[in-house]
Amino acid sequence: MITVSRLSHDFHVGKKGKETIIPVLRQVSFRVEKGEIVTIVGRSGSGKSTLLNLISGFIKQQAGEIKIDGIHVTDLTEAKFADFRINHIGFIFQSFQLIPSMTAFENIELPLTLKGVSETERRTRTLNILARVGLLDYKDHYPSELSGGQQQRVSIARALIVNPPIILADEPTGSLDSETEQDLLQFIKELNKELGITFLIITHDEKVADIGNRTIELQDGQIVQKEVFI
Amino acid sequence: MKWKDQFRFVRQNMKKNKSRVYMTVLATAMGCAFLIVLSSVGFGLHKSIVKDITGERIVNEIEIQGKEQKEDELSQITDKDINYFESIKKVRSVVRRQNLQQQGLFQTGSFQVNTETVVTHIPSEVKAGFELSKGRLPGKKDEILVGYDFAANLAPKDVKETEVYDKNGLVKDEYRYNGKLIGQPVQLLVKQNVDGKEVTKEIKLTIVGIAKKPAKKWMTDRKAFISEEILSEIEDFTGTSRGMINEPSNPNPVELDPRSYDEVKVYSKSLEDVEGISNELKDNHYSTYSVVDELNQINIIFTIVKIGLIFIGTIAILIASIGIYNTMTMAVTERAPDIGIMKAIGANPKTIKKIFLLESSYIGFLGALIGTAAAYGISFAVNAGLPLVVQKAFKEQPPENLMFSYIPVSLPLICMIICYGVTILSGARPARRATQVHVLKAMRREL
Repeated sequence: MITVSRLSHDFHVGKKGKETIIPVLRQVSFRVEKGEIVTIVGRSGSGKSTLLNLISGFIKQQAGEIKIDGIHVTDLTEAKFADFRINHIGFIFQSFQLIPSMTAFENIELPLTLKGVSETERRTRTLNILARVGLLDYKDHYPSELSGGQQQRVSIARALIVNPPIILADEPTGSLDSETEQDLLQFIKELNKELGITFLIITHDEKVADIGNRTIELQDGQIVQKEVFI
Repeated sequence: MKWKDQFRFVRQNMKKNKSRVYMTVLATAMGCAFLIVLSSVGFGLHKSIVKDITGERIVNEIEIQGKEQKEDELSQITDKDINYFESIKKVRSVVRRQNLQQQGLFQTGSFQVNTETVVTHIPSEVKAGFELSKGRLPGKKDEILVGYDFAANLAPKDVKETEVYDKNGLVKDEYRYNGKLIGQPVQLLVKQNVDGKEVTKEIKLTIVGIAKKPAKKWMTDRKAFISEEILSEIEDFTGTSRGMINEPSNPNPVELDPRSYDEVKVYSKSLEDVEGISNELKDNHYSTYSVVDELNQINIIFTIVKIGLIFIGTIAILIASIGIYNTMTMAVTERAPDIGIMKAIGANPKTIKKIFLLESSYIGFLGALIGTAAAYGISFAVNAGLPLVVQKAFKEQPPENLMFSYIPVSLPLICMIICYGVTILSGARPARRATQVHVLKAMRREL
């Protein structure tokens, strides 16, 4: 499903000519199989967010290769990666990343709108997903009128609306209290079980790491441990 | 992303900063109104002048001044030329007139008038549009037609001229001829100098028809149309062609060809045919003049004037476009987080560019729309107010039919196109910047 091969990435800090090169990822390779929940753990600065950003196509890799669903995404242009993303990858962010001027309904509907899906179909699918995440009564609420847990559910609903085979999550419980965190993790497990969605989750929270079939630990840009939980 | 959704998105975004968008639309509207009103002066004056020219003259009329000879001389038009004119395709009629070379003095009862006397080919005149207000066309040699103002110019014989006419040169009401004209016998007096003495001949005629009133108020028609036979009778009396008087000071007057014409006008079937016929005649060395010739020159001058005015007006829109550029740049900066989210979830850069271009062109469109409406209002007010200003300032009536400002449909369209082009240009850079927004920076996430 996701194949990362010898992925390396450096950050260039400072003025041109006098810049310092900071290696972030070094020769990282791993595979995520279809239907798996894989968590990536590591301390701050270990390179886990950079790894997720590279897989997402938010930044361009300097060396190595990423293959998603058999496609070499590292070769895609920005526009083609955008088209690929909207059809194959859903995102869950720590800070939810909802558009504040849009209601919960509009935020969830947005990927379908961008895809050019008809208004009727959009409405049906958005209402269904709102019901699925238990926010039907909050459809006309703006993000500022929702709790953290509700906002994260809207964010998940937005990720699910295009039926992506993969969901990439960056610290999905980072902004949630422990009770809401448990609900969310349960929901992720359900989605994985019922819909067979592959999850790649970045976290430094052990509870989150525990829901994964496997955990990959990163340290100083290198994989130090691949642990399998069944 | 569908157009409808893009448009909804744009409207939603514009509502986020209503006052800024409102001010930008206002600036664009002012620029457009300025362009339209300024250019409308060119269009208005052009229209007024064209209307004036075409109103004064018959538009499908081509005046033939003569046939070009060597050394810039013109020969008179003869029957041979007339036959050729009549053979030209799309020619409706060829009116030819011969003028009596002296003022005919027409008397009826105790009234008389000195007037232009003309021999014409009546069937051609009728085909060209000659109409009667009263009576019928002449059938006999001693029957004549008179102009509409012939009667109004008849003055009493026995009253001094200084007494008869008012300051405008018109016969005073109390001296006007009030009798009927149709069927009225008149005498035409023609004269000739014989051995230094003036000899007069009296020819008895009858008025059978009065021509239609001239189209324009200020035009007067007091001509008398006599038959060819009467002209021959006059020529027999004077011994000269067209009744020319032998002046003692000019013992060798120019001899006119008896079969030539003093005034020849070709009438086309429609206005569109004038240019073609006129060109054909010019190719065959005839000196011609038509309204189309005059209009062509006027059109060239006014086209240049209008282009100049539109160019000056465009500067106002360009200034307004700075506002659009500023608004769009601010919009991109403010909406960078939203753009980042959209890009993260899979918005194509092209879609983002289109949304921002649509927003800038929508601002331009709204501005152009409001500007056009305002321009129509200003134009109406100018046209209504200008005569009053002219009257107050110069104590004179402005020319009849003067339209100071005129907005043809093409002008708002031109304005819309210019405005659209300018707004696209001013929105292009911010739109490109929007596509370059970095997802992670916009979402304030760590790299």
